[in-house]
Amino acid sequence: MSNTFLIYLVLVVPLCTSLVEFALGRANDSDTRRATKVNVIGISVLLLAALKLVAQIYDDGAVVAAGNWLLLDSLGAIFLGVTAVLAFLTGLYSVGYMRNEVGHGEISINTLCNYYGFFHLFIFTMLLSITTNNLILMWAAIESTTLASTFLVGIYRQRSSLEAAWKYVIICTVGVAFGLYGTILIFSNASVVMPNPEDAIFCSEVLKYSDKLDPSLVRLAFVFIVIGFGTKMGLFPMHAWLPDAHSEAPSPTSALLSAVLLKCAFLVILRYYIVIQGTIGVTFMQNIFLLLGFLSIFVAALFIVIQHDIKRKLAYHSVQNMGLIAVGIGFGGPIGALAALMHVINHSLAKGLLFCVSGNILLKYGTRDMHVVRGMLKVMPVTALFLTCGALGLGGMPPFNVFVSEFLVVMAGINSHNILLTVLLLAILVLVLSALVNLVSTTIFGQAPPQVDKGELGWLTLAPTGVLLILMLMMGTYIPKPVTNMLTAASRIVMRDASASVAARDVPEIVLKWTEDAQKSVKISALDTARQEK
Amino acid sequence: MQNVSIINFLSGLLVITSLMVVISKKTATSVLLYAAQSFVLVLVFLAIGKVLVSPELYTWGVTALITKVILVPYIIYRSFDKFDSSPIEGTIIQPKLVVAITAVIVVLSYFVVNNIHLNVIEENHLKPALTVSLGHFMIGLTCIITQRNILKQVFGYCIMENGAHLTLALLANKAPHLVEIGITTDAVFAVIIMTYVVRRIYESVHTLDANDLTTLKG
Repeated sequence: MSNTFLIYLVLVVPLCTSLVEFALGRANDSDTRRATKVNVIGISVLLLAALKLVAQIYDDGAVVAAGNWLLLDSLGAIFLGVTAVLAFLTGLYSVGYMRNEVGHGEISINTLCNYYGFFHLFIFTMLLSITTNNLILMWAAIESTTLASTFLVGIYRQRSSLEAAWKYVIICTVGVAFGLYGTILIFSNASVVMPNPEDAIFCSEVLKYSDKLDPSLVRLAFVFIVIGFGTKMGLFPMHAWLPDAHSEAPSPTSALLSAVLLKCAFLVILRYYIVIQGTIGVTFMQNIFLLLGFLSIFVAALFIVIQHDIKRKLAYHSVQNMGLIAVGIGFGGPIGALAALMHVINHSLAKGLLFCVSGNILLKYGTRDMHVVRGMLKVMPVTALFLTCGALGLGGMPPFNVFVSEFLVVMAGINSHNILLTVLLLAILVLVLSALVNLVSTTIFGQAPPQVDKGELGWLTLAPTGVLLILMLMMGTYIPKPVTNMLTAASRIVMRDASASVAARDVPEIVLKWTEDAQKSVKISALDTARQEK
Repeated sequence: MQNVSIINFLSGLLVITSLMVVISKKTATSVLLYAAQSFVLVLVFLAIGKVLVSPELYTWGVTALITKVILVPYIIYRSFDKFDSSPIEGTIIQPKLVVAITAVIVVLSYFVVNNIHLNVIEENHLKPALTVSLGHFMIGLTCIITQRNILKQVFGYCIMENGAHLTLALLANKAPHLVEIGITTDAVFAVIIMTYVVRRIYESVHTLDANDLTTLKG
């Protein structure tokens, strides 16, 4: 299959699935089984197509399609891979979770069809934001992610979920409108300096002329862009929608919001970061990333400690981890970019797992209050095991994946001589880990409430979570060579390295200054010994 | 030159209409004022199209006429004609204060725009229009922040959106037409979804006051 065909397929599949689900919702004889079947087919085809596309990009390099409107390079391919894997697993988890909700009369069958419809529409909009090369379409795609997911957040139609949906839609559309301003400024500036003004709409073309843009205008544009897409990324102080939306949405949607949506917004900011560093260098932007990143980590850590609502606690973890990603870019250097991108994958896996686990807890105990949820080890031992591993993993304990990327962020900090900030970061991370350990110890031990009966909720709610745990372990202990190559290629794109256009398979490894020094000193000492022996 | 002063005059009219949308007390009046404002925006598009010799803007004007002057006001009005006679709830800040804030915003926008050097704007003396477009965006934001009525906040978003659209017309009128359609569609859907959520909230909580929507905290 050709690469361009695959890129179309990846976009068309979720869109068509969503339309079919909406049509099923309209039909009078809609039933759960049919809606579920369509959903499973949709996510499976999407996963296969996306993985095939990522593999081909790994071998052949970037794909351009639809007259430059679509472009997928190694950087986009990482986000595509994360989206497809998480969409598949949360889609599968939705089957078990939503069956329970329909069974308990929480939602009707028509609402279920609409749920799947919006779920796939949401995936489509996120994939569009990842694959498009058109700057204004990129903005429109991010805006439509909000519109597609508002219904998912407010699906239960209770007072609290409607309130969350309202906050979500108003804060995000207003925030993202700032992003539009930034986009327009860059576009209009580029269309003046470029020989072919029509090309100024394409990110890849603007990149070529980035050194000709006006520095003061570009600075202003970047501030607008960070405020706009940073709102969607969940950075402090624009994060106010996030805890509400994440906690009120059904758990599979929370997983998708946290694991994928925030990353899509980050990718858009990163695309501008790549362009703008050609105009004004990286210092100005890195300082903004460091400031917002640290504020997000610090404020989120405080809320993580005091919060008793399990899903809200996890939501603040998203703010904290997005802050960590921003700090990775802020520390800069190849290792910082690598750390941030690896953390994108690792946080997605960990948070996908934990939101699925929180869904199981909610279905079983009927509450998200961690002081009521007790004795999980006896009630639902497998979920309890997943919670323990996921929470410790998210806290940064080896052998899980988050440890690796957090370690890399710390290394990036040391590498960029930000020793004080690095120590502060480590201190906050310890605080966050302690809150997670507290969550685990409170919920899995103790006496379960008498009305809760023992037993898991079926394999459909466990299997996707189990797969996520395996992926977390894999990314923590043995990262496959293609993944590291892809990450290296992507961080070279972020660094605007000369070798960025090479296919990920042949990308040169990142060599750190100190490993270079160490290798040199080993060589020198070997020479010395040889001389002495002579 | 005469056309340019028409553009600047119309842009000034935009600020006044948006102020009136923010100040007005009844839903029906706000809807009408918003429609009037969008009509002024359509005229601005046509005038800019003439000055910059960009025929694309005429089509933009037509899309804006259909979506902003007819469709969006109609959607909001249909959703709320049930309770349009009820006064808008929530604390509304004094009209005088709104006028003062608007003045400050316009002055600040002027300083920001002064730092922007783009040939298109400078050659055609369009700085006042650009100032208004940025100011308009900020007036919408002020409306959302200061008004506690969630329906008023929807109008705030519409005002912001008109400001962004004017900036787009001034700075990005060479963008492919499909892009403009994408942005307009997004805006219409945003209003549809917002009014849908507002209506659901009104049906279940019987209030439009954001101060009453405080279940979620911390």
